[in-house]
Amino acid sequence: MRQKTLGLAASLLALTAGMASAESTVRFWYHFDNADNPMDELVSTFEEQNPEITVEAENIPWNSYYDNLYTSIIGGNAPDAAMVKMFAQPRLIEMGALEPIGDRIDSWEGKDDLQDNLLELTVAEDGSSYYLPVQYVVLYMYYRPDMFEELGLEVPQTCEEFREAANALTRDTDDDGQTDVYGFGFRGGKGGHDHWASFTLGREGADLTDNIESEAAVAGTQFVVDLFREDGVFPPSAPNDGFQETIGAFKAGKTAMTIHHIGSANGMVEALGDKVSAAPVPECGGGRWTAYGDESTAVMSSAEDKDAAWKWISFLSEAGNNALFNEATGQLPVTKTDRDEWSLHPKRFVEATAESLPFANLLPNRPETSDFVNTVWPVAMQRALTGEITAEEMNAEIAELYSE
Amino acid sequence: MTAQDHSATGPARAEAGTGRHKLGRRVLPYAMLSPAVIVTLAIVFFPMLQTAWMSLHEYVLFRPDDFTFIGFENFVTAFNDEVFWISLWHTIIWIGITIPAQVLLGLVTALLLNQEFPWRPVARALIIIPWALPSVVIALMWVWIYDSNYGVLNDFLLRLGLIEQAVPWLANPDTALGAIILTLTWQGFPFFAVMILAGLQSIPKSYYEAASLDGASTWQQFRYITLPGISGVLVTSVLLRTIWVANSFDVIFVMTGGGPGYATYTLPLYAFVKARTNLDFGYGSALAVLFTMLLMVIVLLYLRRTGKAVE
Repeated sequence: MRQKTLGLAASLLALTAGMASAESTVRFWYHFDNADNPMDELVSTFEEQNPEITVEAENIPWNSYYDNLYTSIIGGNAPDAAMVKMFAQPRLIEMGALEPIGDRIDSWEGKDDLQDNLLELTVAEDGSSYYLPVQYVVLYMYYRPDMFEELGLEVPQTCEEFREAANALTRDTDDDGQTDVYGFGFRGGKGGHDHWASFTLGREGADLTDNIESEAAVAGTQFVVDLFREDGVFPPSAPNDGFQETIGAFKAGKTAMTIHHIGSANGMVEALGDKVSAAPVPECGGGRWTAYGDESTAVMSSAEDKDAAWKWISFLSEAGNNALFNEATGQLPVTKTDRDEWSLHPKRFVEATAESLPFANLLPNRPETSDFVNTVWPVAMQRALTGEITAEEMNAEIAELYSE
Repeated sequence: MTAQDHSATGPARAEAGTGRHKLGRRVLPYAMLSPAVIVTLAIVFFPMLQTAWMSLHEYVLFRPDDFTFIGFENFVTAFNDEVFWISLWHTIIWIGITIPAQVLLGLVTALLLNQEFPWRPVARALIIIPWALPSVVIALMWVWIYDSNYGVLNDFLLRLGLIEQAVPWLANPDTALGAIILTLTWQGFPFFAVMILAGLQSIPKSYYEAASLDGASTWQQFRYITLPGISGVLVTSVLLRTIWVANSFDVIFVMTGGGPGYATYTLPLYAFVKARTNLDFGYGSALAVLFTMLLMVIVLLYLRRTGKAVE
């Protein structure tokens, strides 16, 4: 106890001393789910290298991250730099909240070490760069090789094969009249649009903003609805299930397949050992679509010392620091150096990620996408899954959003 | 007082002293009240006025410069909005079932706790637990109780043979709202139990003795002694609870977030989602204003009716 108090007093002293000598402060917002947070280590390394800058890094809970970010911007209390995703970019630009950093990136020595294509993916519609990539993931399908082997199934390559496999995997293993394993863990709550998109947006003639009401796109939605309502291959709680529920059910052996990214790979291996593997999502209606999960950092236009803010965010995307950052998030580093030395994830998951890259997509870079992700998709999907509306009506609601 | 006694030496000075004293007495209450009033004005009334003002504008937070006056257009939109009517209907069910259920359960509990039995203080302390727990804890706890894979409720019903398949209570639009109402009833009934118990204990025992001498049955004693005895407490606590239950959406928000679909949307939740998630503060404010007015009508009607009954 005494030691703790002493330690606290010491760190307070250190903090005030740091503040006294620092010429500027960078307030940084980020979101980490992982309790082992290396941010303190990163901050102290940075402050050693840049004694004139103090970094105040604040971990904001993911569920209300953007609500908090937008309101802080309006309230005039925005951070100086923040972790940001592409879907929020149009809105942040519209609010005038982002500082263009294209010139800074061009003169930055770490630029050449960034993996190819990442800077092109994060460029804004107006051609400027506001984002600096800090980590990335690609969604793929997790499956249980032991269950596939037991039933003599192959990893599904198409939607048709997927449906067959899901039906075969849904079974009552202990003959008590209850289904014990479901074929696929579908995320029907907020954030589940990536699951739906993999079955829908890859189809020829389906596009989220241009022709989501086409026959092909409706067929995709119908496919998802049928899997739940006709085949019963999702757990009955699927309409409300979020990240915790889908991942938890897979780890517990309640589901035989689900879709997520490498961020959950180590947790899965911890729970299931060799009984979990990964493969790209199946091809549906002539094409494949999977989500590219991006995460960047940005300097806010309201930042007092933009040079200091840039120094901090570019520090996070440099080799070594970036690896440490990604060890906490469980995602993949953006630098070539860190990629080549990456050993945090078992190989099969890194390979599934690489195989999925060619058809990985971002959601359309439009202001409406925020509402699509947060309210329109979850509500419409839940209503379609519970039979309140049809697949056509669901797609019509999405079309209405993007036509406004 | 004493200071004045000492200083008052001549009659003129004494008069001036009393004058100042009178003024002091008149100003003092306002001076004492003003901090509370100013704080209330600043954090309750000012935002209320601001909400009313915003509801007359098109105001989407991510277009901060676009603050256009549009009159009552947001209200017209609300009346033509299917989700508004769905939410309103759910709010009526929400209040209409939760409050009577809490009152009944609270009344029964209070009557039981008013009996003499061993360990009564312990029982009284235990009964308050649901009320003392934070809403978020309660919501998370009940999410697990209702869970279709591991939930204890499904397990229980399956073992009893009452259902054949596990029911996804919160994922089924037909049962979701009912399930949350049950949760809230459980959370809120101790409040009524404690309030009613206090009311019961203020009824003199002699009333019952006199009534039983006159040959009144148990029901008659309840109807003519107990009920009038607790009616004052009952009216106040029903009023308070109606306002709290109507406004509370934390339990719904944690348990289902309003889903599946719109199955558990209530008006406060809808206003919150519109304002905080979709950042449409104009429309969100309009919904909040509409709901406040509806609630005020209910409260006024209730007070007018029950006020008479109590008198």
